[in-house]
Amino acid sequence: MNPLRVWRVLRKDLALGPRSPFFLWAVAIPVVATVLLQVVFGGLFAPKPRLGIVDDGASEVAVAYQAMDGIAVTMVADEPELKRLVEQHRFDAGLVLPAGFDDAVRSGAKPPLRFFLSGGSLASNRIVLAVTTIDLVRAVEGSAPPVDVQMEILGAADWLPLSARMVPLLVMFSLMIAGMFLPATALVEEKERRTLSALLVTPVKLPEVLAAKALLGILLALVMGLVTLLLNNALGGDVGTLLLAMVVAALMSDEVGLLYGVVSRDMKALFALFKGLNIFLLAPVVFYLFPEWPQWIPKVLPTYWIINPIFDVAVKGAGLGSVWIQLMIALAICVVLAVAIVSLTRRLERTLAAG
Amino acid sequence: MSRWGIIGAIIRKDLVEFSRDRLWVFLSVLGLVFYVVLFWLTPANVDETLVVGVHGEGLEQALEQYTAGQAKGIRLVPFASAEELRAAVEGAPGTSERVLMGIAFPDDFLAAAREGRGGTVTVLVDASVPSETRVALSAFVRETAYALAGDDLPVTAPDQQTVILGPDRAGDQIPFRDKMRPFFAFFVLLVEAMALASLVSTEIQDHTVTALLVTPARTADILVAKSTVGTGLAFSQAVILLLALRAFGANWPALLLTLLLGAIMVTGLGMIAGAAGKDFMGTLFYSMLFMIAMVVPAMAALYPGLASSWVQAIPSYGVVQAIFALTTGSTAWGDVARYLLMALAWCLVLFGIGLLVLKRKVESL
Repeated sequence: MNPLRVWRVLRKDLALGPRSPFFLWAVAIPVVATVLLQVVFGGLFAPKPRLGIVDDGASEVAVAYQAMDGIAVTMVADEPELKRLVEQHRFDAGLVLPAGFDDAVRSGAKPPLRFFLSGGSLASNRIVLAVTTIDLVRAVEGSAPPVDVQMEILGAADWLPLSARMVPLLVMFSLMIAGMFLPATALVEEKERRTLSALLVTPVKLPEVLAAKALLGILLALVMGLVTLLLNNALGGDVGTLLLAMVVAALMSDEVGLLYGVVSRDMKALFALFKGLNIFLLAPVVFYLFPEWPQWIPKVLPTYWIINPIFDVAVKGAGLGSVWIQLMIALAICVVLAVAIVSLTRRLERTLAAG
Repeated sequence: MSRWGIIGAIIRKDLVEFSRDRLWVFLSVLGLVFYVVLFWLTPANVDETLVVGVHGEGLEQALEQYTAGQAKGIRLVPFASAEELRAAVEGAPGTSERVLMGIAFPDDFLAAAREGRGGTVTVLVDASVPSETRVALSAFVRETAYALAGDDLPVTAPDQQTVILGPDRAGDQIPFRDKMRPFFAFFVLLVEAMALASLVSTEIQDHTVTALLVTPARTADILVAKSTVGTGLAFSQAVILLLALRAFGANWPALLLTLLLGAIMVTGLGMIAGAAGKDFMGTLFYSMLFMIAMVVPAMAALYPGLASSWVQAIPSYGVVQAIFALTTGSTAWGDVARYLLMALAWCLVLFGIGLLVLKRKVESL
């Protein structure tokens, strides 16, 4: 293995790579997927009750609502617009606070409460918004509640919202496209166009070609994995351990991609492999979305051992001490995959030599 | 041989070619089965009720009366003791009913509240209960105490009839799985568009289309045949799917028309992708780009009101909204006329562009 020749092939792939649709996919899809799931639909997977407020008098109710966590509050210009948006179910409810509302409440004048509910809103959201509004108005009134409420939170202390549990899916997606698809398609394309045979006429050897493809995949998978974590505000925890976990993840994805590329005759065969096997590689991420499912099941799948360390470090803030065993298991799987790649590469060499 | 005979022969050839492409046949069948299974596994009702466990001596009737006056959306589950209530919120084995929230009133709460004396009520919540629900639960406890103490609201409550804007769906929410029908239907249409794109792309790369032009077939015949195959495959797949999902209601002709417009639209996209892609992966790339863009309105239909209004500018919006309306209770043509017109306009544009692009590609070979 000559590093200089590997570098030359890598340089060629880097120069030509952006012309490939999959290279563009590898860069675009993680961003598009994150934007679609986390931005376009806002709280799609954990929708907050949505309240529109028209505040003509700088009411303390509006200030309190805006400071509140868990309710999506939007200030609206006027009542007709608010009613239109509530009717269209853009909001679950609308609240109109006319000028002088707070003073009227404090003086005991009992002003009318202009509160509208969307017909499409869930009954539970209606109750949450109605009761909360009354409570905030009581606070403006200044009356002392006749009871103290003490809240106790029970259950799993490490419960995470669905948006955080989506992160493994998005990271896995970017690892698969960049680390798996890219080297696989690059290799199969070279086979189909017979540029691989042409390349092997030069002093470059097949393992060096594969090494170059692998490096390209690892590099892009690492970058896009980190970009995905950044876009999802999940770059927490120990940076060094996170980088290590991402490198191991990129390595395993890449090795799977190389395996696909080595065994596939053409793009259709490769695509059939993707469709057939990737469901098993993606399966572990589903168990993050449903924590009540038996969590031993994903542990039998190899990709669990790369995605779980990333999740533990990036989302839960774990350190190397908590994830090193998982990373060792992942590296052991990588060694097994490497042995398989070496064996299949020798077979491919013989096939190419035979023409 | 007449023009129609020639077109018929090309259509037959394309259908045979499609059936030989095992990948797309497999994906089409697998997709149909997958969507049907997923649909029937998804819950058929909407849970919009807050279930709250309650313990308080002598309070059950008072609380029931209080909540009976509220809108639907809260169900109180009585527990004989505070310990049982805590176990139910913790999810301990052996509890009669698991609840995620609970209110443990002190034993003398009723008397204390009526006399306006202080007291401490413990609210128990599971970690998964969202913050706004916790706040609302605390507020509910305080309001209950105010009501028992005889304190009026500090505002004049609005007339119930003026409060609800739009059709009131409380207790009659559209189940999530019903909202999935447009999503699945449009996805099936898009997959068939990808199949057509692959077919067209293969013919262009292999130059079989050039070979066809040596025969009495003209470019227009090829275009008509491709359009017919694409539209027919997409339309039939979508109809089969919606039949399996029991989507056809009283106004089934409108739904058929909507699916036809959708099929024509995706056929246009398939022709564009097939002509633009230089090889299989290139065609797939363009197809996926179109798919991602076109599926956004279908995802928005899953959560009405949540997506931004620019979604209406996406070509598939009209088709998706028409399918949604017709499969969730609308029966009048007037309810969907606007959407059908939007879909028709986009059909003309995309199909026209598809024909033009494919024609130029064929003529350039």
